Amino acid sequence: MTDAPLTRADRRLQRRMRRFDNPWLNPKLLWGIGLLLGIVALGLIGRMLWNLDLVFTGSATLKLPPVGFENLRRQPGVWDHPLGTDGSGRDMLALIVIGAPNSLFVGLMASLIGMGTGIVLGFTAGFVGGRTDDVIRVLSDVMITIPPLLILVVFQSAFGDVSLTMMALLIAGFVWQSPTRLIRAQVLSMRQSGYVQMAQLSGAPTHHIMFREMLPNLVPYLFGSFIANVTTSIVTAVGLEVLGLGPQRIPTLGRTIYEAINAGALIQNLWWWWGIPTILLAVMFIGLLLINLGLDEVSNPRLRRLS
Amino acid sequence: MRLPRKYLVNRLVTLFLTVWIAATLIWIIPRLSPVDPADIMLGRMAAGAGAVENADAILEQLKENFGLNDPLVVQYVKYLKNIVLFDFGLSTATFPTKVSSLIARALPWTLGLMLLSLVITFFIGNLLGALMVWSHSPRLVRVAIPAAMVFTSIPPILSGLLLMWVFAAKLRWFPLTGAYGLTVEPGWNWAFVQSVLHHGFLPALSIVIVTFGFWALGMRGLMITVQGEDYVKLAEAKGLRPRYILYKYMIRNAILPQITAFALKIGLLIAGQVLVERIFAYNGMGKLLYDAILDQDFPVIQGVSFVIILMTAVSVFLVDLVYPFIDPRIRHEGATS
Amino acid sequence: MTDSGGKPVLTLKDLSIEFPTPQGIVKAVKSLSLTVHLGRRVGFIGESGSGKTTTALGIMQMLAEPGRISGGRIDLGGTDVLGLSDEQMRLTRLSRIAYIPQGAMNSLNPVMRVENQLWDGVVAHEGKIDPDELKRRSGEALASVGLGAHVGRLYPHELSGGMKQRVCIALGMILGPELIIADEPTSALDVVTQRQVMLTLKDVQTRIGSGLILIGHDMGLMTQSVDELAVLKDGVLVEHGTVRQIIESPQHPYTQDLISSVPLVGGDSFLNPSTRAAAPERDSREPLLRFENVSKVYGEVTALHPVSFTLQGDTPQIISIVGQSGSGKSTMGSIMLGFNPPSTGRVLFEGHDLLRINAAETLKFRKNIQAVFQDPYACFNPFYRVRHALRYPFKRFGLARDEAHIQAKMEEACGAVGLDPDLVLPRYPHQLSGGQRQRLIVARALMLSPKLLIADEPVSMVDASLRATILSNIYDLKDKYGISILYITHDLATAYHVSDYVMVLFKGHVVEAGPPKQVIGDPQHPYTQLLINSIPWPDLHRSWGRDEAGWDPTAEEARAAEAPPKLRGNVPGFDLVVQ
Repeated sequence: MTDAPLTRADRRLQRRMRRFDNPWLNPKLLWGIGLLLGIVALGLIGRMLWNLDLVFTGSATLKLPPVGFENLRRQPGVWDHPLGTDGSGRDMLALIVIGAPNSLFVGLMASLIGMGTGIVLGFTAGFVGGRTDDVIRVLSDVMITIPPLLILVVFQSAFGDVSLTMMALLIAGFVWQSPTRLIRAQVLSMRQSGYVQMAQLSGAPTHHIMFREMLPNLVPYLFGSFIANVTTSIVTAVGLEVLGLGPQRIPTLGRTIYEAINAGALIQNLWWWWGIPTILLAVMFIGLLLINLGLDEVSNPRLRRLS
Repeated sequence: MRLPRKYLVNRLVTLFLTVWIAATLIWIIPRLSPVDPADIMLGRMAAGAGAVENADAILEQLKENFGLNDPLVVQYVKYLKNIVLFDFGLSTATFPTKVSSLIARALPWTLGLMLLSLVITFFIGNLLGALMVWSHSPRLVRVAIPAAMVFTSIPPILSGLLLMWVFAAKLRWFPLTGAYGLTVEPGWNWAFVQSVLHHGFLPALSIVIVTFGFWALGMRGLMITVQGEDYVKLAEAKGLRPRYILYKYMIRNAILPQITAFALKIGLLIAGQVLVERIFAYNGMGKLLYDAILDQDFPVIQGVSFVIILMTAVSVFLVDLVYPFIDPRIRHEGATS
Repeated sequence: MTDSGGKPVLTLKDLSIEFPTPQGIVKAVKSLSLTVHLGRRVGFIGESGSGKTTTALGIMQMLAEPGRISGGRIDLGGTDVLGLSDEQMRLTRLSRIAYIPQGAMNSLNPVMRVENQLWDGVVAHEGKIDPDELKRRSGEALASVGLGAHVGRLYPHELSGGMKQRVCIALGMILGPELIIADEPTSALDVVTQRQVMLTLKDVQTRIGSGLILIGHDMGLMTQSVDELAVLKDGVLVEHGTVRQIIESPQHPYTQDLISSVPLVGGDSFLNPSTRAAAPERDSREPLLRFENVSKVYGEVTALHPVSFTLQGDTPQIISIVGQSGSGKSTMGSIMLGFNPPSTGRVLFEGHDLLRINAAETLKFRKNIQAVFQDPYACFNPFYRVRHALRYPFKRFGLARDEAHIQAKMEEACGAVGLDPDLVLPRYPHQLSGGQRQRLIVARALMLSPKLLIADEPVSMVDASLRATILSNIYDLKDKYGISILYITHDLATAYHVSDYVMVLFKGHVVEAGPPKQVIGDPQHPYTQLLINSIPWPDLHRSWGRDEAGWDPTAEEARAAEAPPKLRGNVPGFDLVVQ
């Protein structure tokens, strides 16, 4: 086949197309995973190397800038607090070492529970059909319209302080709808597919059809939906924290931003106070987006055409 | 053109169920709480008035006034009746202001910002997403947008902080907070309008710059699918102008699922906007909600949450109503979701 | 070439088209030279991948990226097409070359009224035009393809497949082009509609006197539709001549294959029935399959009117159920498989109602009724290697003694359908061709050796050259392994060859039934006659309505709906009762 000499453009094209061969070596996917692992590593290594009590003591000088900067009072940053301190003298580094993995934890846990619920409800709706299907379909249609933030605001202002796990559970109550709808739609279309009919002809029991024939083919969709839900969950959690709700006794990135805004950190040019948590959250979201884009490209080769 | 009845009934039922479930959740949650919010708010009112003699009697009297001693069912029915009339009771922080009048004051600001930012992002996002796929787009568009897209995954609250710091705190091009200047007289005069636009720019921008990417990405995927459709090939074979094909054949079809997605996403977008309003101290529902949380002003929290959810549900309903008019297939089949 | 109508409208000279891929450059079309004359119809025939569509898109300058024309000339009535600017090329499309695309189902914009889609083509070439004038021209164009003016106001989803394709033809002729390229214009249509659409196309082309390139893979359709044939294989023009030359004395072996692979009614069978196997031992005296007044109603539509029959199954037989889409034949198949409960009546398998047996018995019965479906691409779970589809049922039905036994059985079954087990079994479905997959499904049926096999359009999605092989694989199941088969198809010619008994279905009614020699060889019912007359035979003496300008299939179908069913004699072991 290859008898014509290749031009330079051809070769470049060829290189680009080679990426089709192993879709999992997708640069976006790898970068995304890398960024998230970086945050996890920050949490793990930080816990080993840094004194986390600095979060609670608040004994240091207030509003110290990171090393290499000066604050408005002309105080330079010191190596005891390399990322500076906040308005009550808490160490920023210790704060993010604890706070960043917490946000990720809430997102992952809420999504996992939501996904589990979605799988159960989606399969039930798709297989049982009839009344059950109607109820699940309408309920997920209705619940997908209600913004979780507002119900959670009501909840937390009534209940007061919550733990991190409790918050994840609450958010999970609002992220089961999209996986449910997705799985239901896929199950309904897959039930008509040739291979499911073949499995029925093979005398396959229902659980075999659900978990061995259908579920493996749902994996790319589930992954995508899962990552999207992690993003939604973290956004909701951060939103609550910025409103001053959410866990009150554990340092979180959102709560740090809340305190910074309340203390007027923006006008006082205390950029590290709100800026560092903001950047960490941004990195987290960019990582999640890259994973999602990468997964899209893995499961839908047509998207890969455009870099 | 008439809507199929089944479709209309279906949407109305969903609207009704959404509002009813939300209202019920808002009512039921505080009653499940080990801490009685009535105690908190009444206690707070009492504290506000200084030391009060025979506080218990007053508390009891207030409970009676708020109907908190009725059986739960009666309370619930009364609550539903009140909510239909937009009566959320009285604010405890600014007693005895009606919650509904507080909301009425904040709502126009939120609606205005929402229309501006959501609609702008929807159009910009979809247009850019379409241009990313269109084969006649300038090369710059096809390369630059995807690169910029990466930053659009962060929520508006974070972009709001960054913009506020750069353009309001550092450069002082825009005011830091508020919806209009303190020196202008609210009303239909140029100074006021100018001030409103000046104040609204950053909050709107912080929503637009991070949410257009969501639409652009969705549109890109849809456009790639539409690009491979036979009707687009035939349109090209018909010798139509590329720009005409882009609008009438590609975007016109690819936008349909995006509109459905818009209906599903509205809730999250409005919630994001509430947070932006809070950090910009914009005189909308976000600020009202935040102040109420600080003051533990429970009737306001309930009222604001309900109204925002209602807004979401009504927006979804409106989108659903419009949809059949832009997709003839729905009009005929009367298909349900 | 012999006499060649008017002056040349399209001349291809050494046209080459290539696609750069990761494995290097693929040459899709290699030095193709050909001339199309005004008023002449030229057929491009070849299998998928032969470069016929690529050539057409090359002429239109619409190659999908990264495809490109790497050499040669395209001359359109004196214009060098490759030298045109983008804007000039745009203006050339539709006004000088019209393209009628393959997918009749999706080639119209779903959110635009039909007439708007005719108008925008005109406006793009002639600028702003008075709306009344546009309306007159679109009405005229629709009338020329036999559609009323009201069709213009409809949306595409309100049209049938045949109507959509006729709208596309109306669109193609609206500016009176010199050349029409029709890319498999009838591939998704029933034979009756196909005949109607092709007659319309020929009629329109004759009227405007343009050249026509018809792309296709069906030798019969080509014989009935074109004047000259160009046979393509792997991007090379292997033979070109008048239809008569090609049909009567094909020179290239590939052309000979193409012609001989078309099954004919009558003529030599492509099957070679050797010894007949006895039916497998049956432990039941009840008939193998029995329909008792079975009907199926969906909402307000009756898909299948009550029908009763008994298949004894003492000797293996092939019963064909023939009909067009919407005739109820697939509904019948899914009822037999128990996927779809009948609205009335009972389906008995060896005396047991399939919908009322307990779980333990279900497994036993499942083994005995197996199926081959239409779409071999959908029948394999993309997640597993293809061996999963063979292995799982074998184990599930308790037929396997151990792994080695399964392996041996799988290899044996693959061998029986002509596949190399070592090459095929460890693959994933997407690595196999449609033909290979369909043969694997037949192999699967063979491993399970059911008593009854439902074959629902088993070859309609497979390339023509493989159809005969797969059908003879299926035929072998009856002949060598004693399996009774219900063959559901739209293709009367294959039904004629394989079956012992034929039922013709029309709108849920059995309209004619009996041994194939009588039903298909000498049809008596008007509907069967309509079907048989609509088949395009690769036979110049068997004309397909060259002189039937006023042919109206709707009227014929209405007439057919009136006629009583015709039962044409029985075969032992199968009894049909029609209400």
